[in-house]
Amino acid sequence: MKDLLRKIRKTGRVAEDPPERPAESAPDALRELGGSVQLRHVDAGSCNGCEVEIASVFGPVYDAERYGARLVASPRHADALVVTGPVTRNMEMALRRTYEAVPAPKGVIALGDCARNCGVFAGAYGVVGAVRDVVPVDVEVPGCPPEPEAIVAALRGLTGR
Amino acid sequence: MTSVTGAALSASLGASVLAASAGAVLPRRIRPVAAGIGTAAAGAAAVVAGVAAMTGRSWSAWLPELLPLAGVRLAVDPLGGLFIAVTGAVAVCAAVYGVGYARPADGHGGHGLDGRTVQAVLPLFVAAMLLVPAAASVSTFLVAWELMALASLLLVVAEHRHRESVGQAGLWYAVMTHLGLVAILAALAGLAAAAHGESFDRMRAAAEGMSPAVRGAVFVAAFAGFASKAGIVPLHVWLPRAHPEAPSHVSALMSAAMVNLGVYGIVRVGFDLLGGGPRWWWLLVLAAGAVSALYGILQAAVATDLKRLLAYSTCENMGLVLVGLGAGGLLVTADARPLAALALTAALLHVVNHSAFKTLLFLAAGSVLRATGLRDLDALGGLRTRMPVTTAMFAVGALAASALPLGNGFVSEWLLLQSLIGSLGEGGTITAVTMPVAVGALALSAGLAVATFVKAFGTGFLARPRTPQAEAAAESPAAMGVGMGAAAACCVALALVPAFTVPGLARAVQVVLPGQDAVAGQVTLRLAAASSTMSPLLIAVGVAVAAAALLALLRFATTWRVRRRARLWDCGMGPMTARMEYTATSFAEPLQRVFDDVLAPETDVNVTPLAESAYLVDSVSYRARVGDRIESRLYRPLIAAATAVGEAARRLADGSVHRYLAYGFFTFTGVLIVLAVTR
Ligand code: SF4
Repeated sequence: MKDLLRKIRKTGRVAEDPPERPAESAPDALRELGGSVQLRHVDAGSCNGCEVEIASVFGPVYDAERYGARLVASPRHADALVVTGPVTRNMEMALRRTYEAVPAPKGVIALGDCARNCGVFAGAYGVVGAVRDVVPVDVEVPGCPPEPEAIVAALRGLTGR
Repeated sequence: MTSVTGAALSASLGASVLAASAGAVLPRRIRPVAAGIGTAAAGAAAVVAGVAAMTGRSWSAWLPELLPLAGVRLAVDPLGGLFIAVTGAVAVCAAVYGVGYARPADGHGGHGLDGRTVQAVLPLFVAAMLLVPAAASVSTFLVAWELMALASLLLVVAEHRHRESVGQAGLWYAVMTHLGLVAILAALAGLAAAAHGESFDRMRAAAEGMSPAVRGAVFVAAFAGFASKAGIVPLHVWLPRAHPEAPSHVSALMSAAMVNLGVYGIVRVGFDLLGGGPRWWWLLVLAAGAVSALYGILQAAVATDLKRLLAYSTCENMGLVLVGLGAGGLLVTADARPLAALALTAALLHVVNHSAFKTLLFLAAGSVLRATGLRDLDALGGLRTRMPVTTAMFAVGALAASALPLGNGFVSEWLLLQSLIGSLGEGGTITAVTMPVAVGALALSAGLAVATFVKAFGTGFLARPRTPQAEAAAESPAAMGVGMGAAAACCVALALVPAFTVPGLARAVQVVLPGQDAVAGQVTLRLAAASSTMSPLLIAVGVAVAAAALLALLRFATTWRVRRRARLWDCGMGPMTARMEYTATSFAEPLQRVFDDVLAPETDVNVTPLAESAYLVDSVSYRARVGDRIESRLYRPLIAAATAVGEAARRLADGSVHRYLAYGFFTFTGVLIVLAVTR
């Protein structure tokens, strides 16, 4: 216990200072969420590179929860979906149903090049299409994988904080 | 002397005999109906007799010609009347239910329950149970007791043609009940010898002057015998075997009426005939009760067989009753009579409550068993839509058994708790140490009971059916519904207006503690001794009003919202299958882990690798079982030892006539020598 406390004191704060607040970019439908957006992550067929970046976004260094974004465990608890990867045939129905399960008002973030336009997987036999082809997309984050700063900026655009 | 009590009791016994003969001679088609009506009439008459006795109309009779040498001596006082009334009420429910239960169910075939043996023996079993609390002499008592044991044994093995396990269960029951009989016989015979007379009056009068050693020995032997009938740990082993295997209405009679007579015996011998005793008696009773309550409900919490679960719950409830008796006895020795009377009242009320809800639960379990052929909770489910009446009945019983407000179990457990808490300051160190422990045991068992019955109801009746048999279940015949309904009505009445039992219970307690009135009040129960009050009816009204208000508020709050019909969330893939549901085993798993040291569950994991490589798995089999640890640790070695002795004794009898003659000769000479020396 003492070690733990000492460790905490010695380590101090590791989160980076928040950069300037980006210009508000939330779609109109999501404005009423008022600074707090609960996110459900759906892996629609990603290579898991994007997941690693999401993990670091919600880790201590970038700490996106500071800006009112939070990952939750069920679409029923969520305001928006974070979808990574191209939509594969196996995940198409699941993605649709997950989208239906989110209560309105709701939004979708397509994270990574794959989610935007199938990226390196374009034309593969198991791929149905980009996220936009299956559910309506509100925000897109480019990059393969996108840098944490870019993801944080996109999330801050949604929360407005 | 004629009185309502005597007339009603005679009518009841007469009706039982008529019902038994109807069951023995009538053709199969009308046999269950005739015997059922007769038994129900006998039960109803017994209720009248018991209630009459509880209102103070005691009755006694001596029929010298009926039994050779001793004659039959009967006496019904309020204490006996209480047990007669309870037995009668259970018999009414079980008999009406039995009419439907004995009819072959579609799909599962008859269980042969409309056969002559079952139909003729069931009324006799009821009659024997009515005679036990009415007996007023040792010989009458023992005859009735043995009749009860034999009749119930015949009923337990009624379905031996259908299942292997029935025979085993019957064997355990026969052995345990007869060992119990031996202990009771020894106790009562010893008491009668010391009192120079075998009528209860005589023994009562002579008990004061006996030596403490004799009294202690009599009490311990009687306690052991009666505790084995009441299913008290560690003498409970027959219960979780016999109750599941017996036909369900017989289980109800055994679990709700017969085990009570064990309690009756302890009260009659300990408090009445011996007139109370030293502290260690009651500490023994209290400890046995507390252990039984905890062990019973723990086993029930992890049981997956519905009727086994109910059987263990009987162990628990009888344990609670014994906690009440033990506390009562202890408080008498501490000279806190008002509190002692409260504890005894609580114990007796719990007997009544337990009988009501256990009848209901066993009958409902039987209804499920008849419709599906299943007792395994892990294979049931989805009965709510298929068997709505049975589900509602089981829900009422489960609420009562989990000792939550609105159920009748709550009332008596609350009384018991009050008496235990109230007695903290009485009687010095011993009570100051034991009572908090008893309170803890009571609270823990009540908490586990909630988990147990949530499990039983939730996995057994709600959700989706887990097997085709459960899927194909259909509601039981009307007669069974009426039987269950009567038991449910008793539960509700006892839960809402328990005060109607108070005068009768007070008289029953006054048999052993004269001049005490522990509980008063009509709607609100007032406990003078523990200076507290409770009003079950007002609680119920309050809960109903609060629930209605909450519902109205929710309705109102959602009126201005648009309703959206959405798919059930199934992780996006679906469809959800019954395999994904919580099972009884998985529900109880956390509890099982917490109480790992007590329950010692056995798990077997067998991994079979592929032939090509030890790292590739072909199949995994997993088996988990929670056995009865007391049975395997205490009884198995005993049985093994008895078998070994039996094998060894066989060598004495090798078939040689000469040797047998020699045995006779030497024994005879030996006896003569002993007699010559001692005289
Ligand atoms: S965008 Fe790049 S990192 Fe993200 S899933 Fe596609 S390939 Fe992987």
